[in-house]
Amino acid sequence: MLMKYLFAKNDEIPAGSATIFFGFSSIFWFVVGTGLGSFNAAKLAFPDWVTGTELFAFGHMRQVHVLAVIIGWISMAFGMTMMYMTPALGNTKLWSEKLGLWTVFLWNIGLSLGLLLLWMGITSGREYNDLIWPIDLVVIFGVLLPLGINVWMTIAHRKTQGIYITNWFFGACIFMVMIVFLVGQSPELFNLTGLTEAYLTFWFAHNVLGLWITPVAAAIAYYTIPKLTGNPLYSHRIGHLHFWAIIVFYSTPASHHLMSAPLPEWLKSFASVEGVLILIPAVAFVANILLTMKGKWTMFVENVETKFSITGVLLAIPLNMQGGFQQTRAINWYVHGTGWIVAHAHLALLGMSSFLEAAAVYFGLQQMLRRKLYSLTLANLHYWFFIVGFCIYWISMTIAGLIQGAGKIYEVPYIDVVVAEHPYMIARWVGGTMVFTGNVVWLFNMWMTAREGTLVPEGRYAHELAYER
Amino acid sequence: MAFKMDQPLYSLSDEAEQKEILALWEKEKHGGLSEGNNRIPFPITFLLGLIILTAFMITMPIWGQRPTADIYVDYVALMDSAEVQSMATPEEKMNYIAKTAYAKADARRQGALERHPLAWDDLLNIAPQIKEIQSGKGKYPLDNYNVLGDRIALANFEGNFTEGGYRERKQPWWDLGYTIDVFYVSYFLITMVIVIKRLPHFSRKPNLG
Repeated sequence: MLMKYLFAKNDEIPAGSATIFFGFSSIFWFVVGTGLGSFNAAKLAFPDWVTGTELFAFGHMRQVHVLAVIIGWISMAFGMTMMYMTPALGNTKLWSEKLGLWTVFLWNIGLSLGLLLLWMGITSGREYNDLIWPIDLVVIFGVLLPLGINVWMTIAHRKTQGIYITNWFFGACIFMVMIVFLVGQSPELFNLTGLTEAYLTFWFAHNVLGLWITPVAAAIAYYTIPKLTGNPLYSHRIGHLHFWAIIVFYSTPASHHLMSAPLPEWLKSFASVEGVLILIPAVAFVANILLTMKGKWTMFVENVETKFSITGVLLAIPLNMQGGFQQTRAINWYVHGTGWIVAHAHLALLGMSSFLEAAAVYFGLQQMLRRKLYSLTLANLHYWFFIVGFCIYWISMTIAGLIQGAGKIYEVPYIDVVVAEHPYMIARWVGGTMVFTGNVVWLFNMWMTAREGTLVPEGRYAHELAYER
Repeated sequence: MAFKMDQPLYSLSDEAEQKEILALWEKEKHGGLSEGNNRIPFPITFLLGLIILTAFMITMPIWGQRPTADIYVDYVALMDSAEVQSMATPEEKMNYIAKTAYAKADARRQGALERHPLAWDDLLNIAPQIKEIQSGKGKYPLDNYNVLGDRIALANFEGNFTEGGYRERKQPWWDLGYTIDVFYVSYFLITMVIVIKRLPHFSRKPNLG
């Protein structure tokens, strides 16, 4: 069906097609990404698991997991939400369904190729920016630019005078992440090595997290929570505070990721203050959303999309408390290079961001398919596998990180630290596997929704109808 | 679009513009969504102020800094003493040295020693290096050197030129990064106040039905 629409006239493509293909692609990559995560975690928990084959070595597999989740699941879920929220918020239709379909097509092709190359060991060798530069150029010009054109043009053709806060973030974040990807290629393109390469690597990683993964997830919540609850967004003015604080405080030097490196100390000080100040947009966002929930807190229990969404918002609190303070000199010397950071990264990507996106994908797919969710039971099963699995993962890795930190500081022999961490590595695998299992259930549930979900009448929302299963 | 400056903390927009904005918020639905004009709750405002204060306080280089070589001078002096030599185990020796040096130290030095305990083996390794610098062979004074495990290295800072003709290599408690941040945060706050005060005052709520 995708191939048919790729060469059809724009007007002949049903509205919402791009959303649906983006949505199912994102869930597929979430299954792949978390499946790889579970596989990799098993290698850490059980060292004899799949040995002797270079392709399945941890060093080959790790970055495939990371990029499958970031560019596959998270970014495609963003693409999906942009395809339906941007036009909805402008009371218009998507500027080009055809461009949206080509974007999702090229995205899947490019990502598959990129991950295959990573798996083969063809990599830039730089964390989070592991893809080689030609693939990154495909990401920039084959994925982000077409996505951006569609979003910007839809906003430009809106039928409202104002622009809703979600669309501020969508429009700005696509632009910023393109700049981040372009600058992020400079070590490869200009043969920058040593400290400069390290610095640019973490400038890239910092800004992909802060100008793409977390703010777009937050932008999604500005849509889903008012939409689901029927309440107006609590405050337009707090939205300003959130948006501009992200732009000002997150886009700064990022040298607080390299506190032990011989970068100029003043640059670290500059970045470190900004690192704590990231709590400003975080507080603004959380307060705005939680106050929007006023009078509708029962939905946190009763409505599965709200449950996912508010869980993501609540996880933003520990995420930013950790993120704000763990980069300071006082704490970083202890946790740097330990499992604590791995736990924190998963709190951001698998916790806050993924829960918010899952809510939007659940909501958007039902709306665009015009079908009610196939099974509430399966959706709740997904939620509980997701949250319990995530918590097991996060808590166990945090403890493992503290053990590693103590081992590092008190110069405990490395092998003793490895032995002490072993139970937590098993817990990590259990938690990650639960998340993976939940996602398989989700994919099945959404597939069945597309095939057998109850039809939603015109003018109604899926969440207004009663579940049948 | 005119700025109104007579009540800057109430609103920077004139009455006509405030009414226009409120009317727009009431009329316009973004895909069925609307926005309120509620103020930032006072506890949140307080929290934001606390965050800014905390950001500067907690990131000062003095927290989490590496130990400087000068804090172990008394350790080096004590390690060859008869009392220490007569002790049987490294633990006993270090315990005695740490307690004795701690008692002699001023409050700032005591804090540094508490944060940076030293093992006997590391003391054996760094002692000759400290003595070498003390003997005048080092270009810089001892407090310009960091202790990195079992070795000593010139600290990675470039401060002011001193009377001795060398550049100070001590970790400052305030630096250029903070100066930039003071301006950065100030500009942000000023801009945000202008942006938010251009909106209708929070006491004027749109009727969102």
